[in-house]
Amino acid sequence: MAADSTPIIQIQNVFKLFGNFIALDDICLDVFPQEKIVICGPSGSGKSTLLRTINQLETINSGKVVVDGTDVSHPKTNINRVRMSLGMVFQNFNLFPHKTVLENLTLAPIKLKGISKQEAEERALPILDKVGIREKAGSYPIQLSGGQQQRVAIARALAMSPKIMLFDEPTSALDPEMIGEVLDVMKELAMEGMTMIVVSHEMGFAREVADRIVFMDEGRIIEQGPPQQFSNPVYERTRQFLHKIEDQ
Amino acid sequence: MAQHRQHEQGQSETEDHYYREHADRRYRIEVTDGAAIPDRRDKGLFTAWRISFFGAVGIILTLCLVKPDPYVEILTFLPDGILVTFEVTILSILLSLVVGLIAGLGRLSANQLINLTASTYIEVVRGIPLLVQLFYIYYALGTFTQIPPFTAAIVAMTVCYGAYMGEIFRAGIDSIDYGQTEAARSLGFSRRQTMFYVIIPQAMRTILPPVGNEFIALLKDTSLVSIIAVADLLRRGREFATATFDYFETFTLVALIYLLITLFLSKIVNIMENKMTPYGSR
Repeated sequence: MAADSTPIIQIQNVFKLFGNFIALDDICLDVFPQEKIVICGPSGSGKSTLLRTINQLETINSGKVVVDGTDVSHPKTNINRVRMSLGMVFQNFNLFPHKTVLENLTLAPIKLKGISKQEAEERALPILDKVGIREKAGSYPIQLSGGQQQRVAIARALAMSPKIMLFDEPTSALDPEMIGEVLDVMKELAMEGMTMIVVSHEMGFAREVADRIVFMDEGRIIEQGPPQQFSNPVYERTRQFLHKIEDQ
Repeated sequence: MAQHRQHEQGQSETEDHYYREHADRRYRIEVTDGAAIPDRRDKGLFTAWRISFFGAVGIILTLCLVKPDPYVEILTFLPDGILVTFEVTILSILLSLVVGLIAGLGRLSANQLINLTASTYIEVVRGIPLLVQLFYIYYALGTFTQIPPFTAAIVAMTVCYGAYMGEIFRAGIDSIDYGQTEAARSLGFSRRQTMFYVIIPQAMRTILPPVGNEFIALLKDTSLVSIIAVADLLRRGREFATATFDYFETFTLVALIYLLITLFLSKIVNIMENKMTPYGSR
């Protein structure tokens, strides 16, 4: 992590309300190029909401979110353009069920980047290789296991050649024996230098891959730092949370 | 529906609520104002379909054999009307699909004005009987400008069924998990692209069976246009009956022919439904 370079994502004093509920309470966070950040925290702490403000799936009530020099929270911003460089992976995969695996990867590049079907497929197949699922290119999502579906979802996001990847609890909906295969793909991606922000409770993955872990509770960032810091957290709240999830 | 839109505007409670909200989504639309669809899994109904269909064919054949005069004569007089009935049906269905898609998308629009316009259209049209709409377009508007009966018929059927179709389109589109929209938007698709590349293709299979049903209902309702001098099946029957006074014989055949057409169509809708297996399980 190069601390002196300019951040690729700047989250400045962001507030987000759901009715009277304060989901994000004055959040500030800078993410640097090639940095890997794992955000953890109890359910309802605002971690997914924070992640979703980065590509504006969640709008904000005040503050500012700047991605790669573009103020995405500004109403005049063409958010669709910015989203093309922001890959997102969801808890429930959200693959397009009416498309084959290969078509899931090629739909966006063909329609949004205007490349030919053939070129899109030539680019997609190596990505399917990378996530280890090329032999399923012609299958439909429903024919795949959860782990395979999530790997396709990662591949679909990568097919747009994003600069940043956002992961929203990518392993939470998976059977335990399938978590490893998804985390392996994410680790490989991390080693290639992708900028990654991962909302996850997988502390093993966080310790191994993260440059920085961010702990959130009640819409605030309680504590953040390198993984070593989280072996012996500063705050009691962090300690309690880590105890709870490590017990499982 | 309300929840769906709320979430899009980012007003739902937390991320956990979001998934709960979607757990009870309907994946099948049940609308049965057309005709009972003979599903093989429903043994009784399937048998009933066979009895009705082959019964009707049998009765028509028997009547023609036993009493060729007037039955054979009636049967040669009616086909012109059957053709007109089909013409009105097909033109109306095609136009009402277009109107329905526009109305359905309008009902889902975030734009208040468009949304209100579409909702009001659907509400008003559904609240007025089709026969009254038909009279209104042909006779009431006819006082200002004379509309040919055939055109008036098509317009009335389209306006009326467009509203019904609109509700089917809305429900079908609404039945698609919101995660699909989020996934498409996160890739960079605009609202419109998301709708046409991701949501509508998936909604089609939810929409098709009830649309088929409307098709049958619409066909039956075309008999109403006979009242404004469109020479459809019923009208032809009336012409024959008033000329010959064979009311019983004529309307027996007219009813049996409508029944046959409807049963035939409901069979087609059933075949169509069965063809729509889940993606990839063929």
